Amino acid sequence: MSVETITLLSAVAQGDAVAFEQLYDRYSSTLYALLLRILGNPEDAQEVLQESFVKVWTNATSYDTARGSEAAFLISIARSRGIDRLRSRRIRSDRENDAGREISTVSSFVVKKTGADDAIQSQERKAVRSALTELPEAQRIALELAYFDGLSQSEIAAKLGEPLGTIKTRMQLGMKKLRERLRNFQ
Amino acid sequence: MMTHEEFDSIAALNAVGATTEEEARALDAHVADCADCRRARDEYAEAASMLARDLAPVAPPNDVRERVIDSVNEGETADVIDIGARRMNPWWLATAATLFLALWGWREVGIRVAREHVTNQQSEIKTLNEERALLQQQKEKLSLEMQALGSAGTKTIALSGQQAAPSASARVFLVPEHRRAIVFFSNLPENPKDKSYQLWIIRADQPKPQSAGVFDASHGSATITIENLPVETEIKALAVTLEPRGGVEQPTNTNFVVLGKT
Repeated sequence: MSVETITLLSAVAQGDAVAFEQLYDRYSSTLYALLLRILGNPEDAQEVLQESFVKVWTNATSYDTARGSEAAFLISIARSRGIDRLRSRRIRSDRENDAGREISTVSSFVVKKTGADDAIQSQERKAVRSALTELPEAQRIALELAYFDGLSQSEIAAKLGEPLGTIKTRMQLGMKKLRERLRNFQ
Repeated sequence: MMTHEEFDSIAALNAVGATTEEEARALDAHVADCADCRRARDEYAEAASMLARDLAPVAPPNDVRERVIDSVNEGETADVIDIGARRMNPWWLATAATLFLALWGWREVGIRVAREHVTNQQSEIKTLNEERALLQQQKEKLSLEMQALGSAGTKTIALSGQQAAPSASARVFLVPEHRRAIVFFSNLPENPKDKSYQLWIIRADQPKPQSAGVFDASHGSATITIENLPVETEIKALAVTLEPRGGVEQPTNTNFVVLGKT
């Protein structure tokens, strides 16, 4: 994490609107990609992106550098709001007996790559890609179903047709590996 | 009481939102007082964010940026209007300041007493929450065990100790209708701190064993519940090995502790 990044969020916490615009320019593409992946729908993703940034503006003072990076802080806010929206949409969908929609269709949204990749340094992205590539596919799938689709351990076990214990072990091992890799590249 | 290793495992799952509410509450209560587990929780959360950072960025439409900036500016404008209104009424500010000074002494004493009270209450709430989460887990576990033992369709399978632990044994209560099995182990040697016991299912339709969970032996006994058991396929055997702490994807040895064919 750079000194500049810390200064930027500190400035936002003190009500600096210019710093907030810079924060938006730096992270909006990453958060929008995340919300598209979770919600699979540009309208919902844009609405939740707006809510997320307003939340960042009002909650910037709660950011603690000791707890993690600024990127993780913003991602956590966006993911949390995205999953809330996804779950409320599922409940609404169930109520309307809209059985045609499968959870998996959310994941099938095609995210197009753009040149606006200035939110994260290329070296960091390379390290992230390398860490995730090293994860066994089964571990990565289980983690993604939880992280992007908001599924519980039991739901993942049922979806993949595996015992709950297998899924739990798989996810724990996957997270331990990611944590270990993160330590190395920090 | 859960161990630090168990909280570490919960923190790993919590980072991707895969914990139950009880587990999340127990973790929150624990990390408030445990710096190591707090650091583990934060590192797992940072690691989980890598899943998002791996996505190819997508620029949102420009009008979203305008809406976001407008939303924030509207909040600021409200503050400005508020401050302006107060400037129009200086007598109100003077009255407020006088009252404020008059009550200052009382406030200081009151705050000190209230802070002590809040600290005590928070500590008590934390302890009670931790106990509640633990009791809830125990209740759910006991309820499942009772259900398994009392169900008419329950089948039992005996597992016997192998060379690594000849006196160990286990009894499996299999409830096909709920795709669940509960395994009670006895006379298990204590596992070393850097190792865990891992239960494996050997299926007829799978070339490799599948992990059914990781556990520790306490005073020679342990209980593990297997959910979503693949009852539609033939389970050839159940086996336990001693593995690195936290478990592994595939067994690293064939030195079975207990083994049983179904």
